[in-house]
Amino acid sequence: MATEVPAFSPHVPSTELRGSGGLTPPGPVLTRFFGTPGLYTLAVYRDHGGYRSLERALKEMTPQEVHAQVKASGLRGRGGAGFPTGTKWGFVPADVPGPRYVVVNFDEAEPGTTKDRYLVENCPHQLLEGACIAAYAVGAHQVWIYIRGEYDHPYRILLEAIEEARQQGILGERPFGVDYPLDIQLYRGHGAYICGEETGLLESLEGKRPQPRSRPPFPAVKGAWGRPTLMNNVETLSTLPWIVEHGGQAYHALGTDRSGGTRMLSVSGDVRRPGVYEIPIGVTFRHVIMELAGGPPPGRQVKVFWPGGSSAPVLPASMLDVSTDLDELARVGSMGGSGGVIVADDSRCVVKAAARLLRFYAHESCGKCTPCRVGTDWAVRTYRRILDGEGSSADLQILDRIQASLQNGRCLCGLGDSGGWVIMSTMRHFRPEYEAHALRRQCVTGECERQGAADA
Amino acid sequence: MPEPNGAVPTVTLTIDGHQVTVPRGTLIVEAAKRVRIEIPVFCYHHKMDPVGACRMCLVEISPGPPRPQTACTTPVAEGMVVRTNSPMAVSARADILEYELANHPLDCPVCDKGGECPLQDYTFRHGYPTSRINAPRRHFLKPIPLSERIALDRERCVLCYRCTRYYDEITWDQELTADHRGADSYITSQFGQPLRSIFSGNIIDLCPVGALTSRVWRFEARPWDMAYTGSVCSRCAVGCNVTLWERRNQLVRVTSRQNDEIDEGWICDRGRFEYTEVNRPDRIRVPQVEGREATWDEAMEALLDGIQGAGHRLGISIRRDVTNEELFCLWRLLQGPCRGARVALEGRTSLPAPGEDTLLIRDLDCARAIVVVASDTADDVPIVNLRIKKAVSKLGARLLIVHPDRLDLDRWPEAEHIRNRPGEAAAAVRELAGHPLLQEGPVAILWGDGRGSEDTRELAAAVAELATRVGGRSMPLYRATNERGALAAGLISGVPDDLEGCEAVICYGPPAPGRIPASARFVAVWDLLLRPEHGSPDVVLPALGFAETQGSYTNLEGRVQFLHPVLHPEPPLREGWEVLCELGQRLKVREMDFVGIFQLQRAAARAIPQFAALASPPEPEPQPTPVLYGPARP
Amino acid sequence: MALSARAIEEIRSLPPRFPHLRSAVPPALDIAQEELGRLTPEAMTEVAEALGLDPGYVEGVATFYTLLHTQPLGRHHLYVCTNLSCTLRGAEEICHHLRRLIGVKEEREISADGLFSYEEVECLGACEYAPMLRCDGRYYYDVTPQKLEALIQGWRQEAGNGD
Repeated sequence: MATEVPAFSPHVPSTELRGSGGLTPPGPVLTRFFGTPGLYTLAVYRDHGGYRSLERALKEMTPQEVHAQVKASGLRGRGGAGFPTGTKWGFVPADVPGPRYVVVNFDEAEPGTTKDRYLVENCPHQLLEGACIAAYAVGAHQVWIYIRGEYDHPYRILLEAIEEARQQGILGERPFGVDYPLDIQLYRGHGAYICGEETGLLESLEGKRPQPRSRPPFPAVKGAWGRPTLMNNVETLSTLPWIVEHGGQAYHALGTDRSGGTRMLSVSGDVRRPGVYEIPIGVTFRHVIMELAGGPPPGRQVKVFWPGGSSAPVLPASMLDVSTDLDELARVGSMGGSGGVIVADDSRCVVKAAARLLRFYAHESCGKCTPCRVGTDWAVRTYRRILDGEGSSADLQILDRIQASLQNGRCLCGLGDSGGWVIMSTMRHFRPEYEAHALRRQCVTGECERQGAADA
Repeated sequence: MPEPNGAVPTVTLTIDGHQVTVPRGTLIVEAAKRVRIEIPVFCYHHKMDPVGACRMCLVEISPGPPRPQTACTTPVAEGMVVRTNSPMAVSARADILEYELANHPLDCPVCDKGGECPLQDYTFRHGYPTSRINAPRRHFLKPIPLSERIALDRERCVLCYRCTRYYDEITWDQELTADHRGADSYITSQFGQPLRSIFSGNIIDLCPVGALTSRVWRFEARPWDMAYTGSVCSRCAVGCNVTLWERRNQLVRVTSRQNDEIDEGWICDRGRFEYTEVNRPDRIRVPQVEGREATWDEAMEALLDGIQGAGHRLGISIRRDVTNEELFCLWRLLQGPCRGARVALEGRTSLPAPGEDTLLIRDLDCARAIVVVASDTADDVPIVNLRIKKAVSKLGARLLIVHPDRLDLDRWPEAEHIRNRPGEAAAAVRELAGHPLLQEGPVAILWGDGRGSEDTRELAAAVAELATRVGGRSMPLYRATNERGALAAGLISGVPDDLEGCEAVICYGPPAPGRIPASARFVAVWDLLLRPEHGSPDVVLPALGFAETQGSYTNLEGRVQFLHPVLHPEPPLREGWEVLCELGQRLKVREMDFVGIFQLQRAAARAIPQFAALASPPEPEPQPTPVLYGPARP
Repeated sequence: MALSARAIEEIRSLPPRFPHLRSAVPPALDIAQEELGRLTPEAMTEVAEALGLDPGYVEGVATFYTLLHTQPLGRHHLYVCTNLSCTLRGAEEICHHLRRLIGVKEEREISADGLFSYEEVECLGACEYAPMLRCDGRYYYDVTPQKLEALIQGWRQEAGNGD
């Protein structure tokens, strides 16, 4: 295994790995080789069996067989919505002539979520291979990777990885001698969370103001540049080489009945070992937060956690034993989301945290649909009044009304819903904290007072 | 969309308990109109692609998920049940209205939109009865002049993006844009520079709130204080339909009036804003002879004296918006006592009379390929230009341009532009047969006169030849409002007008070649205003403007359309046809003693085949139907 | 400020890389911003002309994105993440400290020496290294007041040596 790391790449991941392959042993699927020096190079990746799945798919499998394996795997999209990947692929019409695209959603911007960066920085070829497999399965020859503009290092890594793959003929007219031309292009974002929303991303890719589109038509039918388009998240696609290699059933068996396989969780906030961990779906959040991430700082208790990025409704510490299964999370009123687990301990003011997140949603609202544009901004101003000690019961009612009018199809895309969920879930589980702030001008944790004193 | 065999498949659905059958593909919001149910909309506009942005049209649809959906983006389906008045739908819409008003200045008392403002009406019919808005409102600098003619109030704006979408989608221009994002976003002209598009004014009609208002009409009148009539624009040969608005016998506003045969609800800025002449205080209201006020009788006698015996040395210059009826009177005069007089028409092309089977504007919708020759359509025939754009960008027609310069239509990235040398368009057209873009028909050929640079007879022949070879039809792009009517009456031909050498000149409107010929010893001016180019005429007669006069125009496709004056001129102002008839009677022309315009129109219809439609003026337009079901308040 | 002929040439070469022309707008703006440090109306107009679009279109796109700047910035512009994960680990303190260090009162204000400006941004996707910041195309992890001070000091020295 002692492959020499080629000297041409100056871009080694800049810090030590935090998570699977670093602080903890590599996980079973995505991170199985993480920690290997030079894994980001084509040579080391191929030494570990890289691109064999693509070769196999191209040479030995029909697109339908690849699709069948993905269906059998129970893989669900890792970008946030958790939609079954096999079903999504089925939406791409088979009989439309002309170009079609696979678009990789690498606009990772959901607060608390870092897994896609982690995957690409450590093993870019895994993504490229997965994207090519997906392209083959839906009859596309062109892959576009939309990468968020702030990701400078992953961009360079991918640029080099694509160049390497081109030089080796993996990308080109005849990959592995098979007459199935494949190409991958990179497209950089310029700083907008909304580009992580699939139709917002497509608008951005088309060079327009990235305001999400009304659906239907769905991107599968009319996506990038009006063509049939399959869009998947980095993690989703990175899983494909393993699925093709080991079979969909084997992948499915790693997870739960309704949520197959493993997934990446990035744990951040008030924990001792923040990091990105690959877990078999079905373990509890207690395992993730208390064991993998080491639990809260000494002397502190977990108070609240966001199980799947800031958009997933919060769960209180009493729900730490909830499973990471997607349906289980939905049952308790939250979601698996993007796998960004944010933990706040008992010294934290939930109202302040919610206010911070609403500032995020208001800042990232594209401004196209009314409820999101006005509602998030109104919520920010209401939170400000409450935190400034000028709140009243009317403000709590307003927050309540705003969250209701942001959800359930009121908005054009999911961003508004997400903002609504933050308000709704924090109010649901921590109503006394809101009331203390708004009605009695008190912060039950004292965090806001401490902060006020520090600012003064 | 009709099927190729003409059959339109239909769908039957139920809206609030009312069954309605509509063509497949109809959006719910349009289907509801059929049963007169109001589904409020801000972003949706029936001439633009639906975007589902404002969320004002939320309704409950079953079968479907238990949440409100946008009626403006959802097409009907067989057996669909739509509820606009369920508690969920009603509160969803009320919530949106509350949001729209959260930062709105509520300055309706001083807002020009007040009284015809969808935001007002929807709030009344669909909004919460009480306001819960307790936060300070966002403020913007206002009003911002977007141009000399349009003001923007960003505080009133609800960001429906109708204006920017119209610009990009309909006019292919992006000088109007939205900047920034979220609650900070606002509409702006590029870098704050004045709008320069000739199509800018439509954004005023499109704006569903008082954010975009006319500066020409600013603070002139409340909508309910005005009278209005549906009429026809007088500025060019396209003949867009307009609504004329009157207050205190002044023409205070011109707005669009949708006619899908011609304009699809758009008008250009010339038609919208260049109407103020009729209100000028220095209007000529009384006849003058040699600089002194006179009676009509004295003035007519002086005029007759002046032109007596001039024969073929009489020149008659007529204004571009001369009516068919006036043309008929002139035709009678030229048949009789004025035989041999030369006639010039203001602002005309040198295009010859049209062939038999010319294209209609609406035919552009069916064209698979459009060829534009020797015309900057944005300038020559602005609203036809928009129709071309629609055919190309929405209906998939291919675009081929033959012109020496870069044009507005070149904004289409796939347009093929053949740059002929000026004067050689005909040669370029002759090479077009067999062009790959023209393989699939129908082909529409629109051609102009290159603003005088082209030999129009040669070009006409080349276009006719091309039309035959590619199986297309053509449309000559006349410019003067009633140029086609004047051609029909035989008053002008494809030869450029020249009054030089005339000794007596009657000048109806601005002088046609730009100035009164130096040879003129006697000049009678008949116009709204005495203009510098009129010099010092011997006789001056007051004329009526297009908003005051009865009559009709023949547009560039040959369609006769009737004017409906909104102003009622006081004596001694007289209708143009009356003046011409009196002149005819004084010149002893028989059959010019019409007792009214209807009699004249019937005579004209008999005399000139292209004026046949004059015999049957259209019925008055029905009043708009009120909303039947509503309000739906929470 | 006008774009160099080389930049215009580069922008003109962009459209064929994409199925539709407009996709070339953001990459073209990158080229312009790279060269001029920010996007002036003149630069946006030049970009628009090079691509055959109206400047208004380019303006609308450019102002949407946080990484495209129409205002001047310091030579080193620090994007400090202040979203929840970083705030939980002291991002507010980092911003506070940074303002003192470079002597500015608010975001996007340029330090007196022209070297620095900063901006509080949303999640940069490196929460396991919180608090963190981005500057000059790279990420700085586990930022502490001390590390920040060393960074700023380093840039100051670099600028001093350069002059």
